[in-house]
Amino acid sequence: MNGSNIFPTRRAAQYGIRIRPLFVGIALALALAASLCVVSVSFAQGPTDNQSCLQCHSNPELSMTLASGEPLSLFVDSDVFHASIHGTLNVQCVQCHTDIQGYPHPPANYLDRRDVTLQNYRTCEGCHPDNYRKTLDSMHQVALAGGNRNAAVCTDCHTAHAVTDPATPRTRIPQTCAQCHSTISDQYIKSVHGEALFNDNNPDVPTCIDCHGVHGIGDPTTARFRLNSPQLCAKCHTDAAMMSKYGISTNVLNTYIADFHGTTVELFAKQHPDQPTNKPVCYDCHGVHDIKSTSDPASTVSTQENLLKTCRRCHPDATTASFTAAWMSHYEASPEKYPLVYYVNLFYWVIIPLTIGALLIYIASDVFQRVRRRFGKAKTMADKSSDQV
Amino acid sequence: MATTVSTPQKETVQEYRRFSSVQRAQHLLLILSFTLLAITGLPQKFAGEGWAETMIAWMGTIENARLIHHYAAIVLVLVSIAEFVMIGYKIYVERARWTIFPRLQDAFDAFNQFFYNLGLRKDAPKYDRYAWGEKFEYWALVWGTAIMALTGFILWNPILSTKFLPGEWIPVAKAAHGGEAILAVLAILVWHIYNVHIKTFNKSMFTGKMSRHEMQEEHALELELLEQNKASYAAPIEIQQRRRRRFLPFAIIASALMLFAVYLFVTAETTAISTVPPVSAQQQVFVPRTFTPTATRVPPTATPLPATATLEPGKPTFTPAPAQSPTASGAQNAVALPADHAGRTVCQVCHATGVGGAPKNPPDHEGRLDSMCLDCHKPQ
Repeated sequence: MNGSNIFPTRRAAQYGIRIRPLFVGIALALALAASLCVVSVSFAQGPTDNQSCLQCHSNPELSMTLASGEPLSLFVDSDVFHASIHGTLNVQCVQCHTDIQGYPHPPANYLDRRDVTLQNYRTCEGCHPDNYRKTLDSMHQVALAGGNRNAAVCTDCHTAHAVTDPATPRTRIPQTCAQCHSTISDQYIKSVHGEALFNDNNPDVPTCIDCHGVHGIGDPTTARFRLNSPQLCAKCHTDAAMMSKYGISTNVLNTYIADFHGTTVELFAKQHPDQPTNKPVCYDCHGVHDIKSTSDPASTVSTQENLLKTCRRCHPDATTASFTAAWMSHYEASPEKYPLVYYVNLFYWVIIPLTIGALLIYIASDVFQRVRRRFGKAKTMADKSSDQV
Repeated sequence: MATTVSTPQKETVQEYRRFSSVQRAQHLLLILSFTLLAITGLPQKFAGEGWAETMIAWMGTIENARLIHHYAAIVLVLVSIAEFVMIGYKIYVERARWTIFPRLQDAFDAFNQFFYNLGLRKDAPKYDRYAWGEKFEYWALVWGTAIMALTGFILWNPILSTKFLPGEWIPVAKAAHGGEAILAVLAILVWHIYNVHIKTFNKSMFTGKMSRHEMQEEHALELELLEQNKASYAAPIEIQQRRRRRFLPFAIIASALMLFAVYLFVTAETTAISTVPPVSAQQQVFVPRTFTPTATRVPPTATPLPATATLEPGKPTFTPAPAQSPTASGAQNAVALPADHAGRTVCQVCHATGVGGAPKNPPDHEGRLDSMCLDCHKPQ
């Protein structure tokens, strides 16, 4: 910042302003004084280092009573703080508590405990502006703006003083979300993804944030989310390297898009992403948070009986098992699976080029005949007779 | 079909009636429905291709394409029903020659024409009212329409269909519907366009008439029969009228039945709900484990602070000074403020140095501000 004082700018040189070494020296001295001044001004109001804050705030009993009558503990566990990511980086209390310049503190006008959070979480923007701005577009902020004070803000997920890597271990992620979304989390934990995460510490299975995003968590009930969801599932389920570990086909997306349902959804996603369609996406059949392995009898698509039940959610008049068999279960037609479909396709693969080819050969012969008749010598009887007309 | 009437107009140009107004109207409706079916159907089959997406975008959504496809299909089926009635009329009432039906001679004609084209035969075959190529196209259309209507019915009414057919027949119908569509469209583009638009522009399907020269070129045998007055077996007008009276009720009943079948075709079932399927995640979303997220951690018990916080190596160490913190007990033991100090706001001026005999601050009060003193040192 002081660099511009020390060195003549191009413009200064242009106007022939000479900057004497003495002036440079004064500028430098002023700059030094200014930087010292910042510190000395703070001192004038009181010490703001963490140690000073903890002189009072390490007292476990330090608390105040809010307007709502709720007690607010003012205790900061210094062990926990110093083990946190901010503690290890030696972040100062006042870097977040920017309203506090020393002691006494400015009066705190908090209605209740929630109000404390809601008045303070925006301080995170100071160091984390990108992630903070992402949250501004999030479902949580929309809810908050709509007056839902329960909507999660930075510190609800990250905590205020005990901030550590939120994804270590990965099981922390659903547990964090479970603070507010406990029933959904319970479903997830019993799903094929959740079980693999909690039982096997599987690194591939998605947690909440892999589908919903992290800071810019969108509204998952919109048409847009629904229409784009097959591509979301496909991110992992078309990854051959990942799927080969579990013996899962990567043709699930292709076969879905090739069929009536997927064709529609895919086109809507591309052309009318905000227009709802009644055609199902992956989670309409497989379940949302409670997705089970297709080999699990509890899966919505595992047995003929379950499958019919699932189909009937959109096709309530369907009553026969053969209706469910109309869906090729993500298989591509082959001599083994759906042989009739395979052979019908093969039939047309053969018959179309043969027929059209034969017609073209015949047409070529006709063209040849006409050219020869017009320019050649050979005249047929028909030509002679038509010449007479 | 064989009711061709020669109508001499000028001395040299003779025209022959070839298609009735009903047949021409049928053809126009066929053009309309076939074209609509093709331009709404093919983009559905090739929905992943760029051109197909562009075409669907013109139509709005793929659902619009399906809707137009369904209406065009109804038109095609109605044209087909009209054709059934027409054929019945010609065969029963007019006792027309069965000129559109294939004969063995057609196969010979096809080979002979091919060999003639290659210069391997001297004479081209003479054709009757319909040449083999025209019969081929007509029956290809009949066969194609039958396949498309049948597979179309299965696709339109999958629930009803699977009450009688195995489930696999639905994707089979889809495969056949798509395959047959490509075959039909290519056949029209190649065979029909070449024969009646490129080879010669045969306008008879629009004008209903054909010149003597065209007849000689394409239907020489029929021309001969016409000139010998053998092209029609038309019965006397009274006999035709009697047959017509008998045919009419039959035609009405048959048409009504077929139209009812079309009605069933279209309304047989409600395949799916029209709303977005209910999502299993439609549930209470906010179900917190704790009552509300808390602002800061409320410690369950007041554990005494360790003298030295041990931290992992590499991280800044910090030694809290418990003695320095104005703890609850510290506050209780604080020296009370003498009465004469009431109202004073400056403390450290005297107490930091002990000037004038003032009690000097204990070492742990280092750095404390004037504003903090009264928190513990209450007036007497």
